[in-house]
Amino acid sequence: MQRQQRLRRVGTAHQCVIAAALALCALRSAALAQDEGMLLAPKAFRAAVERILPSVVIIETYGSSATPVAERPAPGPRPGPRPGGRRGGGISKPGEGPTTGLIVSADGLILTSTYNFLRGQPIITVVLRDGSQHVAKLLGRDETRKLCVLKVEGVKDLPVPKTAGPQELKVGQWAISVGYGYGGHEPAISSGIISATRRMSGRAVQTDANLSPANYGGPLIDIEGRVLGICVPLSPQSRETAGGTEWYDSGIGFAVPVHGAEGLIKRMASGETIRPGWLGIRPATESKGEGVTIEEVQPNSPAAGAGLKKGDIIVAINGQAVADTAALADVMNKLAAGDSLTLVYKQGGEEKTATLTLAEPPATPVPPVRPATTRAATSRPVASRPARG
Amino acid sequence: MRPLVSVLFFACAASAVAATTRPATAPARSPFARAIAYAQERSVKIHGAGIALEHGYAAGTIVSADGLILTADGLIINTSNLRVTLPDGRIVGAKVVRRSEPLQSALLKVDVSTPSFFEMPDKSPVTKGDWVLAINNSFKVADGAEPLSVNMGIVSLVADVDAKRKVQDVPYDGDAILIDAITSNPGAPGGAVVTADGTLAGIVGRIMESKATNTRLNYAVPIERLRPFVLGQEMIVGPGTPKGKPFVGIRLFTLGGRKTPAYIDRIAPGSPAADAGLLKDDLVLAINGKAVRDCEDYQELEAALAPGAPATFTIKRKSQITQVKLSIREETAHATPTTAP
Repeated sequence: MQRQQRLRRVGTAHQCVIAAALALCALRSAALAQDEGMLLAPKAFRAAVERILPSVVIIETYGSSATPVAERPAPGPRPGPRPGGRRGGGISKPGEGPTTGLIVSADGLILTSTYNFLRGQPIITVVLRDGSQHVAKLLGRDETRKLCVLKVEGVKDLPVPKTAGPQELKVGQWAISVGYGYGGHEPAISSGIISATRRMSGRAVQTDANLSPANYGGPLIDIEGRVLGICVPLSPQSRETAGGTEWYDSGIGFAVPVHGAEGLIKRMASGETIRPGWLGIRPATESKGEGVTIEEVQPNSPAAGAGLKKGDIIVAINGQAVADTAALADVMNKLAAGDSLTLVYKQGGEEKTATLTLAEPPATPVPPVRPATTRAATSRPVASRPARG
Repeated sequence: MRPLVSVLFFACAASAVAATTRPATAPARSPFARAIAYAQERSVKIHGAGIALEHGYAAGTIVSADGLILTADGLIINTSNLRVTLPDGRIVGAKVVRRSEPLQSALLKVDVSTPSFFEMPDKSPVTKGDWVLAINNSFKVADGAEPLSVNMGIVSLVADVDAKRKVQDVPYDGDAILIDAITSNPGAPGGAVVTADGTLAGIVGRIMESKATNTRLNYAVPIERLRPFVLGQEMIVGPGTPKGKPFVGIRLFTLGGRKTPAYIDRIAPGSPAADAGLLKDDLVLAINGKAVRDCEDYQELEAALAPGAPATFTIKRKSQITQVKLSIREETAHATPTTAP
């Protein structure tokens, strides 16, 4: 009995040693495989870029009124670390180099960033991968996403790239940016990962691949060469055309997904300019998670026209529950001026439904009704924060 | 039977763990660890002159056993008190051997032996997309004998860049290795940029701003360009034979200013432009492939044309883009474009 137990113990110990050794081997080989994968990644980067290149175009503009994009007053080395990437990291004016665009239809629609047309609407040409140069026209733009659409005439059978949908997007996956901003006929590439799949109310994905004027308008692709988005300068703090460029070299970059954007592209191609939508209310900052209380309704706004009043509680927009101000901002930021929406709200305990069309924000800001008491909510005129509701 | 099953089970479980997660039990490792250690043993910190925006510190790269060190050129080395902190923490004085304006680089020498040094390959060890590790001392965070910092990235592009530090400065000239590791920070220039196996690909270049993008460049000066400089074999380019002024025969429509597109206003009869069939109202888009964005670009590129050589003009006429060859002549007194109708 005793002997048997001892034997079993020995057996168990033996077993453990073997198991441990095998486990170590497995760990080691898995780690080695990981190393190898990492070391082979450049091959995959190059292959992915080769796949997308036929659909990436060089955009040249002629005639520059050289409007400055003032963000940084003087050139020179940075005075110190720029943790947020904001201070001293901006650019004083657009560069002299070409910019980048992506073919989105076989008959010559090109999707690119509005950043590439800061200097007004000059003469535009597009160079295809085969080196041929064509005149292009700017058709329309989406100012909420910093995107615009060009049309190249007299071309057909252009290669439209594959796109990757949101369900295929994972934080941590490889992302590669491609752009012609440095000039020449070979693009610069930068690799990184997807840092967040949803930013700016779902309008953009975030990446740590270097996004800058070298690739604004160009594609951000996955390791298989499928388009994840168009690289654009976006800033949570700024709505200026060049706002967001100050984030270059900060490890924070944004790209607007192309998958499922057919409707948007069609609207821009039809000559539309998409601007942020204006509802005309100021929501209360506090909420119990059961809706957003209206603090103020601006006169002559879509909200006023639909009969909304101070004290009403918005509970849903377009069938999506609006639990708090963040949810409201999220819904509103997906909509633009001209979009219709159905709004469910409570007025004096009674649930009502209103259908209204978002307007463009009024040109001159409406001064706040009450003096500023709290921070952001009243530090700027209410009307200048249209998309927040 | 049972022991074997459980051993298999253990092995499978272990490999599953290893494959799906970064196991907390495994020693921390990186495929780049050896290259980094190798490079850090061959990299130094440099302290010298500094004033205002010229920072008095940089990184350096050891390239010989007898103390030759490559670094970026700059005010920092304009001092008799140039000091180098070796990888083992020793601080020694350094002298400037020579400097290169086009490479914006300098070669220093310390009077101690440096048995650990980088071999200099005579051709580039990197292509676009390759991993690179940039050894640097950004913001002077490495102190004393502490190893220098390492930033990882890939080669974005190898290209001739048009970049300057300040308007009045001599620009960096020729090919640079653009990388996507952030190195345009004080203290980074001069650091070694190595491949995943530790081969020296170049040194972090002096902080420069790209004319094309108006952004700071993260780049390395390629080793195949630095090697002749270190060996004292740099080609001296002579002034060359003076060439005559080129004559094209185009007069631009410049009423809107120099920043307007380069529309042709007049063509001199019998001129190279006339012979090539160019017409009034044609828009010049490019000369020899270089974009002509406005009249200023045109003047610059036209002045650089060589008389006697052909030049390719890219022209937009209505919505048609064509390329035409011009035989550029030398300007003579009577061959200038006429203003007479």
